[in-house]
Formats: sequence, structure tokens, C-alpha cells
Amino acid sequence: MKTLINYTLYDFIRSHKYFPPISTFIILIVVYYSYTPNPIIDSYAVTALMIYFISAWLCISVMALDPPVQRQVMILHIGGRNLYYLSKLITVWLLSLILTAFAFIYPIVFGMFNEQVTFTIGFISWMNYILLSTLGIVVASIFSKVIMENVVNSYGGLALTITFSFTALGIYEILPVSIKNIVWIFPPVLVTQKTLINWNGENIFHIDVIPFIWILLYAALLLWVFLKLVKRKG
Amino acid sequence: MNKRVALENVSKVYMNKQVLSNISLSIEENQIMAIRGENGTGKSTLLRIIAGIEQPSSGKVTYRNNNMKIGYVPERFPKQIRFTPSEYLHYIGKIGGISVKYLEDRIENLLHRFRLNNVKNQRIMELSKGNIQKVGIIQALIHNPNLLILDEPLSGLDSLAQEELVTIIGEMKQQGTTVLLTYHETNAFESIIERKLYIHNGNISETKVLDNQPVKLLIIKEIKESDVKLWDGVIQVEKKEDQLFLYVSSRDSDVILLRVLQLGGSIEAVSTVRGNYRRS
Repeated sequence: MKTLINYTLYDFIRSHKYFPPISTFIILIVVYYSYTPNPIIDSYAVTALMIYFISAWLCISVMALDPPVQRQVMILHIGGRNLYYLSKLITVWLLSLILTAFAFIYPIVFGMFNEQVTFTIGFISWMNYILLSTLGIVVASIFSKVIMENVVNSYGGLALTITFSFTALGIYEILPVSIKNIVWIFPPVLVTQKTLINWNGENIFHIDVIPFIWILLYAALLLWVFLKLVKRKG
Repeated sequence: MNKRVALENVSKVYMNKQVLSNISLSIEENQIMAIRGENGTGKSTLLRIIAGIEQPSSGKVTYRNNNMKIGYVPERFPKQIRFTPSEYLHYIGKIGGISVKYLEDRIENLLHRFRLNNVKNQRIMELSKGNIQKVGIIQALIHNPNLLILDEPLSGLDSLAQEELVTIIGEMKQQGTTVLLTYHETNAFESIIERKLYIHNGNISETKVLDNQPVKLLIIKEIKESDVKLWDGVIQVEKKEDQLFLYVSSRDSDVILLRVLQLGGSIEAVSTVRGNYRRS
């Protein structure tokens, strides 16, 4: 699996397909912090949404790297379909980990905050980054080329899902009571936002962990669905 | 002989179209077997199912050993690979768990045999169709598979590379590898094929079915039945006393007549007949 991760990373670099998502991410972060000073928790919460979106973009690009025949050859050599797809997802996860590090460190290094980042705030914010990037990756995997061969369905479906995840609260407000709960099927991107913004950042035990667990469970469920779908596709 | 792979009632349906129907088949160890049939009859699908990279819609594929190493040469090896042959083959070998020392020697040897040494540091996407096909063949050979599956491997290969591939397949058989292949070219594999299967309308048989098509009947003498049975173009052979009745496709009849004469046989009669012929 380590070799396949290495292969995918080099292939992604040589394809230059990393450039659009990564440059967009850097621009978004730099523009976001162009006004100073910024509140720490709120800023990390908002930039986590950017991580979600960019991780999904990275995932859909990485999953489209191998042509179908190459995918078949690789699966045969690695000895299992799940191993192949998991290694692709781990590659994207590692890439998004670098992005979370940039989003976390950049405002600290360039003094963009109004106060010092404590360990507690830093830890929780980074966890939120990692959870949302994981969520973005598994959401995109469902719309990747390996499941949806049609580019319009693939990119269109992902764009629509990301839009729904960002606007879930607004949709919830305007929907009739009988169908309000439909928003629960949207990726739970905003569930940690309210929790983080209402948190004073002083005590780690004062934070509601349920939204974080909900993201983790949702991501695990989607991963399971993805692996089932690729098996059916095969 | 021991079975390497067994297929039980394997069927495949694509977009409501039945590609394969209820195929049952045993592939023996240490055997070179060809699957033949017209375009679009499901040969490639069957090979992918046997290789385990495609699931049958119904039925079962059983391998003698679950850890069996399978080499697969696709019909069209992708050209969009951004690595050089050397880099790519190293990755493939390492992914398959081959030790570095063995891998180095194996890659060097195979690149040399397929005369790819001079392009081993160029990106695969920049190579010619034939050289890309050679990389596709080498990746399947690199781990010394127990079962080697080749889907139209000769496509785009020059004659030297074709000969080299036939030699390598012969060597691998000596080492106990089972080889399963499809091909259109008539002569290259003829000398090493031990068993031929035909696909027709999604069904497989060791008989070639020609529905009501005109075929040539050659009555010959002084040739052994076993010699002519596997020739391309031979549909059916019947032995009557000291004569062999050969039903052959009209297209191949001239070549077959020539071969009979070259082997010292005599031709008693040639005629055209029509009907359902099956070659067993």
C-alpha cells in the first residue's frame, strides 16, 4: 500500500492536476486573512469549510488519474480492490493533511490573530480540519470517476452536494415541517461550526463532542458505501 | 491434470445484453489454451472474469490456490502513463511484493528481451504503440505468474517481439505456468497452443460452429489426425479408414492444402459443402 501511495503521489505531481485545487486553496487562505486581526476559533472554523471543499476537489482529481485498464492492472498486482481504493483515499488524505498544516500555521506565523493560539484551541481546531477534510474526501469518492463515468454527473453531482452541505441550515429553515429532516442526509459540514463559535476555548471538556462524532460516523458510512459501490461496479 | 481455475455457470450481462451465458470450464495446470471467436463475442470479458478483475453477473470462479499469482495483459494497454517503463515496472513489482534484488534483474532481463532498453527512460505516454504494448506484456510477466492471461497480446508488436513472446510463453509453460490467450493472428501461436475454445453467442465450446456457411471439404491421406486438428481454419476432422475428411474454412483452404503437401500428404479430393459443422 505504501508503494501505491507513493506511485499515486508522484503520478499526481506529474499530471499537474494538483495545481488548480492547491493554488485556489492558498489564494482563499491568503485573501481570508488579508484583514487583521481575526478571532481564532471563528477563523479556524471558516477555513475548515475551505479544507472540506478543497479536499473534495483533490479527491475527485486523484481518483481520475488511473485509466480504467490501469486500475484493473493495479488491482491485480496489489491483490485487492479495497486495498487499491483505500490507498488512493489515503493519498488524498495525506495531501489534505499538508493543507490543514498550512491553514493552521499560516495565520500564526504571520500574526493574523488577535491573541495567542492556546494548545486547547489549536488541538480542537485541527481536529475539526482533519474531520472535515476526511468528510470532503469520502463525499467526493462517491462522485468520483470510478463510480460515475459521466463527467457531468461526477462534477455536477459533487458541486450540488457541496452546495447543499454549505446551505443545509438555510434549506432547513425554508422547508415545510414535514420534510425538514431531509437535510440530515446532507454531509454534516456545518454541525461543528455552531459548537466551535459558541465555545469559549478555555476548557476542552466544555465542548460538545456529538457533532464531531456525527461527522466521523457519517464519513465512515460513506466510505462503506463507496467500497460497496466499487465492488458492484467491478 | 490438476485444475488451476474452474468456472461454474458463469454469466455476464451488460446493459441488459447477455454477453456470456452459463459458461462452465476447467483450465488445467501447465496448459496453453486459446479462446477464439469473432469480435464482440465476449472473449475479453471472459478473460477479465477469469483474472478476477471483473465480477460475473452469476456463477462462480474457483482458483486452486487463493494466493495464485495472475498476470494479465489487457487488449489495449493505456498510453496515459506518466512514468518511464523502468519506473513503472519497479512500482508494479514493489506493489506485488517482489524483492528489490530479484526485481532489478527481472526488469533488466525483460526490457532487454523485448528490446526496450533504449527507451526505458522515456515516459510511457511518449512511446510508440508497439513499445507501450511491450510494457503491458512485461508488467504481466514480472512476478512470474502461475496463470498468465493475454488478451490480443500481439496487437502492435513487431515480428521479433512476437517471436520473443512466443518463446517466453513456452518457457513459462516449462516452469508450470498456465497460459490463457486470445488472438487474431493465425500463425504466431499455432506451434504452442494445446487447447482451443470457441466463443459463439456467449457460449463456449471446444467446437467451432459455422451455421450453414459454405466450407471446403478436403479428403487427404498420409497425414496424422493429431497433426491437423489444431491448425487454424480446420473446422472438423473425420477419419475414415486411411483417409482424413477435413472440413476447413474457405478462406484458409489454400494455406491448409499447401501445408498438407509440405508435410508429404496427398490430396484425394476438394469440394465445397454447406451445413452446420462442429470441430471437436
